[in-house]
Amino acid sequence: MPGARKLKALVAAVLAAGPLVYAADPRPGKPMKMDEPMHGEMKKKGMKKGDVKRAAEEKRREMKSAMENEITGALKK
Amino acid sequence: MKKRSMETSLAAQSPALIRSIERRLFLKRSLSLGALALLSGCELTDDEGVQKMLTGMSRWNDRVQGWIFNPHKLAPEYPESAITKPFPFNAYYSEEEITEVDGKSYRLELSGLIRDKKPWTLPELYALPQTSQITRHICVEGWSAIGKWSGVRFSDFLARIGADTTAKYVGFECADDYSTSIDMATALHPQTLLTFRFADQILPPKYGFPMKLRIPTKLGFKNPKHITAMYVTNEYPGGYWEDQGYNWFSGS
Repeated sequence: MPGARKLKALVAAVLAAGPLVYAADPRPGKPMKMDEPMHGEMKKKGMKKGDVKRAAEEKRREMKSAMENEITGALKK
Repeated sequence: MKKRSMETSLAAQSPALIRSIERRLFLKRSLSLGALALLSGCELTDDEGVQKMLTGMSRWNDRVQGWIFNPHKLAPEYPESAITKPFPFNAYYSEEEITEVDGKSYRLELSGLIRDKKPWTLPELYALPQTSQITRHICVEGWSAIGKWSGVRFSDFLARIGADTTAKYVGFECADDYSTSIDMATALHPQTLLTFRFADQILPPKYGFPMKLRIPTKLGFKNPKHITAMYVTNEYPGGYWEDQGYNWFSGS
């Protein structure tokens, strides 16, 4: 009987830990901390998460202008 | 023993074939040497002139890689039993900071040399004919993992939107501000998929909801997640990591 009680306690502990394990899984959607260093091994010294946003805005402007010229050029031909 | 049998079998081949293999090996090794300095994105020096020269070499390297790229050669595919569990999460931010995209209001924006630039909703994208692949994702950081992705063949999608497939590049913008671009030959490769599912489930946020471009012939950073916009152009678009010195082609 003590063995059965121990088994029940073990099963209960495993079931109770389930939601905790699930809760430990990070939930997305937190605002990005732009001044923090980037994650991962690709970064170079001093790179911050906010650098990607700034680069994206600049690239969007550059490519928009380049593609407008490209389409205008193609229409003229 | 194995080496001897390989040598014996090579000896049985014609000298012309062996010379051809040696030429290819030489080319590959030369590229690998360049890759040591360029694929890694290492800053050998901050000097502007040297950086300019390295960028020029990298762009030359891209052209050579594009030239030897075989658009018909397929990346290996694997059985379900080979899938890596759990599949690693990798980004320049933490898992808590993953960008949440609202599937209901989501629209894929199209621009550049595309005939029909109508934005696409998720139900429209999900309604396209889908295919699956189990392939290896290889990261420039030195790890790899096998996963199952499902979606539409990118070449079919490009045909459907009337993309100019004689153009050089396809560029991507992502909800997490990441950007990258690929060569048209890779875009048209039969294993390049615009994917909406991972492991038979709708792409979870950590793997790129609502859409990830899966390219098994290229390194992981050339596989953009959370894609919100794409364009076709002849103007070199680069990309976030590519603009930091990582090799643009980064494929086989």
